[in-house]
Amino acid sequence: MNPSMLFRHEAILALLTGVALFGLAALSDKFFTPGNLLNQGRLMSEVGLVALPMTFVIVTGGIDLSVGSILGLTAILLGVFWQNVGLPLPIAMVAAVVCGTLAGFGNGFIITRFKVPPLIATLATLALYRGLAEGISEARSVRGYPEWFFFFGQGEVAGVPFQLWVLIICTVTASVILGLTPFGRATYAVGANETAARFSGIRVDATKLWIYSAAGFLSAIAAVIFVSRVTTTRSDMGTGIELDVITGVVLGGTSIFGGKGTVVGTVIGLVLIQALKNGLALSGVKGDGTIVVIGAVLIGAILAGALFDRNRGGS
Amino acid sequence: MNKVTLTFALAFGLMTGTAMAGSAWTGGDDQPTSPLACDATPATMAAKPYDGGSPTNPPDRAGKKITVVDIPKLIGIGYFNATSKGIADAATELGNVDAKTDGPTKANIDEQITFIDNYITSGVDGILFAANDPVAIAPVLKKALAAGINVVGYDANSTPDARQWFVNQAQFNGIAKGLVDNMAKEIGEDGSFAIVTSTFTTPNQARWIAEMAAYTAACHPKMKWLETVEAQEDNALSFNQATTLINKYGDELKGIFGMTSVATPAAAEAVTQSKKCGNIAIVGLATPNAMKPYVKADCVKSVVLWNPVDLGYAALQVLRSVSDGTLKPGATSVKAGKLGELQVVNGSEILLGAPYTFTKDNIDKFDF
Repeated sequence: MNPSMLFRHEAILALLTGVALFGLAALSDKFFTPGNLLNQGRLMSEVGLVALPMTFVIVTGGIDLSVGSILGLTAILLGVFWQNVGLPLPIAMVAAVVCGTLAGFGNGFIITRFKVPPLIATLATLALYRGLAEGISEARSVRGYPEWFFFFGQGEVAGVPFQLWVLIICTVTASVILGLTPFGRATYAVGANETAARFSGIRVDATKLWIYSAAGFLSAIAAVIFVSRVTTTRSDMGTGIELDVITGVVLGGTSIFGGKGTVVGTVIGLVLIQALKNGLALSGVKGDGTIVVIGAVLIGAILAGALFDRNRGGS
Repeated sequence: MNKVTLTFALAFGLMTGTAMAGSAWTGGDDQPTSPLACDATPATMAAKPYDGGSPTNPPDRAGKKITVVDIPKLIGIGYFNATSKGIADAATELGNVDAKTDGPTKANIDEQITFIDNYITSGVDGILFAANDPVAIAPVLKKALAAGINVVGYDANSTPDARQWFVNQAQFNGIAKGLVDNMAKEIGEDGSFAIVTSTFTTPNQARWIAEMAAYTAACHPKMKWLETVEAQEDNALSFNQATTLINKYGDELKGIFGMTSVATPAAAEAVTQSKKCGNIAIVGLATPNAMKPYVKADCVKSVVLWNPVDLGYAALQVLRSVSDGTLKPGATSVKAGKLGELQVVNGSEILLGAPYTFTKDNIDKFDF
């Protein structure tokens, strides 16, 4: 595959992001300060962590709408394991992440074993996991975590927020896996043509199970960071995050039909959205105006991507 | 396969073993309650030392123009449109305040935190808020205080050390008493009722329900609580939940409490459409405009509220006094423009006044 074709959408997106950053910096002098940029990095970490496996999911032609519910469920389980069951907090964190991963595995299981389309399966588990979260918590929030726990969501290492380091490490890992390993190539193959992939000997079901479990795992990690950031657990945490994540992934050039997409594109897409949300708010645009702009940018980016696809004459 | 099933079973088992503590009714919080006397004896208010937070090195804002942002639970509902109007009125009257209202379109704490964070970065002088969650909002409000911004809450409190003052519309036990007494008058001492609330973790609703449970246990012990349902400040969901309650309990349901200004008219609409006006009493918190058709049709006898326009007005007046330095920790009252002197209760709360009951006779006098 010709490298210039591969990076077409991502290059345009990077250019657009650069233009946006300069424009927003011009609109408000508080936007391009290190403090603000690092803070935005902190705020976008949760969405970023979930967007990494979502890139894999969408590249295989699937989708996972239940990541927000898995986030909420993990957050509640963290509180329940620590306070009601009485486990020490580090063990409670691990147990909650394990449950989140199992929830993702459950998604993969339903999709591969029962051949339910991912949209329907994850739509169902969206309701199921959210309902579990509300039922288990009985809508009580858990508070009173010890001080050291707040480091994950509010602390810094070498001046950079902790969760931003986690995001960077996970992004590099995900890029390497998707771009340079056989597993990554299998992912692209499944997305491009699942039947051909199966007949080529690629273990399609195992690939999907890994990917959906990873989505559950990273949603759970994002949940722990989120609870640490807001110091409490609520059963409605993460509601709506799946839309932010999917917007970022699709904006980054991943095709919703599968077979195309990069982690780098997703990250640039997320940076663009976060920059717009923050920069517009700083320059005085109200909440509703920001949503309109993000919608317009998404449509524009998709149209631009489709335009260049046609010009390439199909590859 | 067996290993997988076992792991699932274990996980679900771990997940479902929970404790059953807290308020007697679902939807209440687990803080101590203090029900009022069953008759009309007013409550005694014990003095408490100031427990609010304070900004770090705030600049001298006395007499100068300040920019204030108001971030309610959500925008776009009548109640917060009214508080926003009160804030705008106060800003016009004071003359040296630049106030604007901005907030999420759903009552979501994550988004509210992001809004506050952005305004901290953009350098406002004062923040007014109505919290979606008292504990979750605390870190970002403390960040605002650390940046020297004055922080005052209204309608829904945060933890006390995360803001300087909180304008409380009415004492929680006063609202509880008003609602339960009105319901007992309409459905009798042994009636059964259900509650439609926003979410079980919204601070003010949870407080009211806990106080209502305590007051009912003390003064109307034979009244029976059936169920509390969540409707998340959403009109359609409130209507559906109320209809479900009516269908589920049939004749057993004699009354519905609406705990939000969205739930009460929706419940009244559900009762009207099920043709049960007169059989099921609706008592709740709502803005008078939304309830006028039902009150006129005799479907709803009484609506309890305070004046949210006054609430917003008082909140901005308090913020101005705090910025000017005329309201200091330890004060026992504060002058709030046309509302006169407001009392300080509970250390750092400012009481707006007693709740007001709207009935067929007086509802026409109000327009919000």
